[in-house]
Amino acid sequence: MKLLVIIPAYNEAASIAAVIADVRAALPEADIAVVNDGSADATAAVARAAGPDAVIDLPVNLGIGGAVQTGYLYAARGGYELAVQIDADGQHDPRELAHILQPLCEGRADCCIGSRFLQRTGYRAPWNRRLGIWFFTWMIRWMTGKRFTDPTSGFRAVNRPIIELFARDYPEDYPEVEAIMLLERRGLRVCEASVVMRGRQAGRSSITPLKSLYYMLKVTLALCITRFRDVSAVR
Amino acid sequence: MNVYLAAAVFSLSFVFVSIELIRRQKLQEQYALLWLTLGVLMTAFSLFPHLLQWLSQAIRVYYAPSLLFAVGLLFSLLFILHLTIVISKLQRRLTRLVQEVALLEAHRAEERSGP
Repeated sequence: MKLLVIIPAYNEAASIAAVIADVRAALPEADIAVVNDGSADATAAVARAAGPDAVIDLPVNLGIGGAVQTGYLYAARGGYELAVQIDADGQHDPRELAHILQPLCEGRADCCIGSRFLQRTGYRAPWNRRLGIWFFTWMIRWMTGKRFTDPTSGFRAVNRPIIELFARDYPEDYPEVEAIMLLERRGLRVCEASVVMRGRQAGRSSITPLKSLYYMLKVTLALCITRFRDVSAVR
Repeated sequence: MNVYLAAAVFSLSFVFVSIELIRRQKLQEQYALLWLTLGVLMTAFSLFPHLLQWLSQAIRVYYAPSLLFAVGLLFSLLFILHLTIVISKLQRRLTRLVQEVALLEAHRAEERSGP
């Protein structure tokens, strides 16, 4: 199966090389595409030196949604059957990739999300982060009846139909939760697999208190709208 | 010079400027349509003040000028809404354009390093 690992990176020069090396070691047969989202630091140069199959340099910063979608566009045009997205900050351990790929390889799911909370993994998120995750878990459960323990996780694998869907239609900013709803609305099978996550290896989270408030409001609105949007309508 | 005359002169020049902007292609017709409508309305009201009087009486507005404010405010809101719709559309197009440029560039780099 032709597999692409998408690594969106914004100012992650300190950790990107290690992530690429780890992915290479964990999945030697996979292709790696780094999407550099207009970083101000040396992310692009460091990534290139690490030798992935492609470094896609966005000329301006698009935000995580636009960057990830570029990866899916690349996957769609390259004829990849599976795609995985993984954070460039080292939070996601590439050795866990096999776990989130397994349900797809077995044909049990169309999308599999790596969850920190499905089983006790010793990972402790800060309380405010946990509160947000709990809120979205509750909201998705209320709207779809399905329980996702880690809806904000950006560690996920998808198959060909979803690659094509995401290449056309992917939320702009803070896309993770909204994407689940998008898939659920189209009747695609989304599941979770338990993964161990590390703390970020370098750099800082982009989320500030004011941004979290915007995050909550924006994602809540987007969830409601996606819930009631005609699924055949393409934006 | 009374206020009606001043208003008429202002409104007419407003319409004139709008048309001129379209002619010089500084303003696309689809956006100009709203401006022209506003200009024509303003001209009509300033040339025929009784129109406003009559209209406000017809819809039971006791102080005629307040109708003017209400219409102006509504029009401004409408225009801002229109602009945010346009911006959203542009944003989507820009995102796709940036993505395409980046993919093309990556493709070119691949070909250079390849055979």
